[in-house]
Amino acid sequence: MRTFLILLGKELRAFFLSPVAWVVLALFMVITGQSFSLSIGLLREKPSDFSIVRWTFFPQWFWYYYFFLFPLITMRLFAEEQRQGTLESLLTAPVRAWQVLMAKYTSAVIFYSVLWLPALLYFGLLHWIMRGEVEIPLGALGGSYLILFATGLFHLALGCLASALTRNQIIAAILGYALILLHFLAGTFLMYLSQENPDRMRPVLDQAVTMRHMDYFTLGLIDSRPLTYYVSGAILILVLTHQVLEYRRWKA
Amino acid sequence: MMIDVQNLTKRFAGRTAVDGISFQVQPGEIVGFLGPNGAGKSTTMRMLTGYLPPTSGAACIGGHDVFHDSLKARREIGFMPENVPLYEDMRVAEYLTFRAALKGVKIREVRSSVERAMEYCGLGEVRKKMIGTLSKGFRQRVGLADALVHRPRLLILDEPTNGLDPNQIRQVRSLIAQLAGEHTILLSTHILSEVEMSCRRVIIINKGTIRADDTPEALAENLQSSGTVTVELQAGPEEVSEQIQGMGAVRRLASSDVGEGWHRYELRVEPGEEIRVELAELAAARHWRLRELTLHRATLEDVFVELTQRE
Ligand SMILES: Nc1ncnc2c1ncn2[C@@H]1O[C@H](COP(=O)(O)OP(=O)(O)OP(=O)(O)O)[C@@H](O)[C@H]1O
Ligand SMILES: [Mg+2]
Repeated sequence: MRTFLILLGKELRAFFLSPVAWVVLALFMVITGQSFSLSIGLLREKPSDFSIVRWTFFPQWFWYYYFFLFPLITMRLFAEEQRQGTLESLLTAPVRAWQVLMAKYTSAVIFYSVLWLPALLYFGLLHWIMRGEVEIPLGALGGSYLILFATGLFHLALGCLASALTRNQIIAAILGYALILLHFLAGTFLMYLSQENPDRMRPVLDQAVTMRHMDYFTLGLIDSRPLTYYVSGAILILVLTHQVLEYRRWKA
Repeated sequence: MMIDVQNLTKRFAGRTAVDGISFQVQPGEIVGFLGPNGAGKSTTMRMLTGYLPPTSGAACIGGHDVFHDSLKARREIGFMPENVPLYEDMRVAEYLTFRAALKGVKIREVRSSVERAMEYCGLGEVRKKMIGTLSKGFRQRVGLADALVHRPRLLILDEPTNGLDPNQIRQVRSLIAQLAGEHTILLSTHILSEVEMSCRRVIIINKGTIRADDTPEALAENLQSSGTVTVELQAGPEEVSEQIQGMGAVRRLASSDVGEGWHRYELRVEPGEEIRVELAELAAARHWRLRELTLHRATLEDVFVELTQRE
């Protein structure tokens, strides 16, 4: 545990001392802030089927930036370590490879979570200023956070895998983006199939379509199956990442 | 026993880098690990430090198997890898603090351990500097400070003086001499004079197998080319070779004319034979004028070339 915490501390420091991280954080605050104020404007003009939470977290342009986020966070993690050769000094210290992996992954998850905190602040402020005149749908808010966290766990794991596969950060980013997009497109493809054939496809759909999950959760409809899907998917990919790291090190 | 290597073998995709080597190192020994490029030195060290798993064979560090009891074995070791990989974007003191904590130094002692290691390696003036901006010599010292920051019993140093200028090499060498009392050291290098000065024992490895394992002096003594005598006489080759052929110990004779009737003779003699006195007496008896008489001992370099170039 101590080893893990020391490694985690180093990774977190690397995140919060890197300029890229602050640029991402700032950009992200602008994006969520902009979505938030736009959605307030939108809802003032005309009533909508969707709540303010939905409009803030998932505006139309959500999918444009959402997938870029993960490779940006994870691309450095293993690629840079492999480029500098520091994996050798790291793994000849009394440290297990999976401790290194988990420390890096956890640091990415923490950074990703921090990105979403300002949005919470906006809602708090709104609530405070309006003194209860606007009802903040707490279920929807909780659901949104939950699904963002769960999909985040999964996509960050994919990013880690991509970063472990190469020593070049740029390639790691592109590869990570491709993996995430592939998973997403597979989901939308399933959705498309289900329109042809609704009854038979339904069970599959509920499991693996990210867009569908987000729709449900932002309505406050929390379902444990998608959560299980993302968490177990993340674990699976992390195990795979561990294997990749060991294989690249041992390369027999 | 500090290091116990038994039949260690490492094969990479069809090529054998280390081929069944065995050796032991006792606590307190300083062992030089020599061999030409690609001999398998770094591969052996990587197996000893648990970075690469052996294909077959076993190695123990302080009684702990490097593969099955890897963490315990690694705790005994301070390793400085080849080319000293470091985090470019960390500061020197910050890096060493991280490394000390990671290698299990108690939280209360981290600070003093880091200070001690930095003082040892002369890093005081760059402690706040970004590692990426350091010169090669300082990087090397950071690597060395990292290796010894947790006071390991065993230091494994892969070419610690690689790429340093002569002053820096001298500094590192004296550092190693200082460390000698406290630690067991296994170091690889291509600088043979360094080994002759700091190591009491040399292991020479070529193409993955051990070719020699002894003190530098013993190696030189046993070398076939040991004992070349140079003698300069004012006498012609016919006359001299006739006389000298009679002396049993001489195996080969080469001569060259150096002008004004002087000739320079190189004599290969059997190992351990002393013929200089005999030569001087011969010269006196034959009334040859003599102006040089030297015995060249084989150097470690001769040993190295002999053992690693002969097919
Ligand atoms: N990861 C690897 N994959 C394939 N072959 C390797 C790998 N690492 C080393 N080798 C090969 O193993 C052999 C021994 O390499 P090693 O690095 O141990 O040599 P060395 O004695 O340290 O040489 P140098 O003096 O140049 O550092 C070389 O032929 C090298 O090409
Ligand atoms: Mg080497």
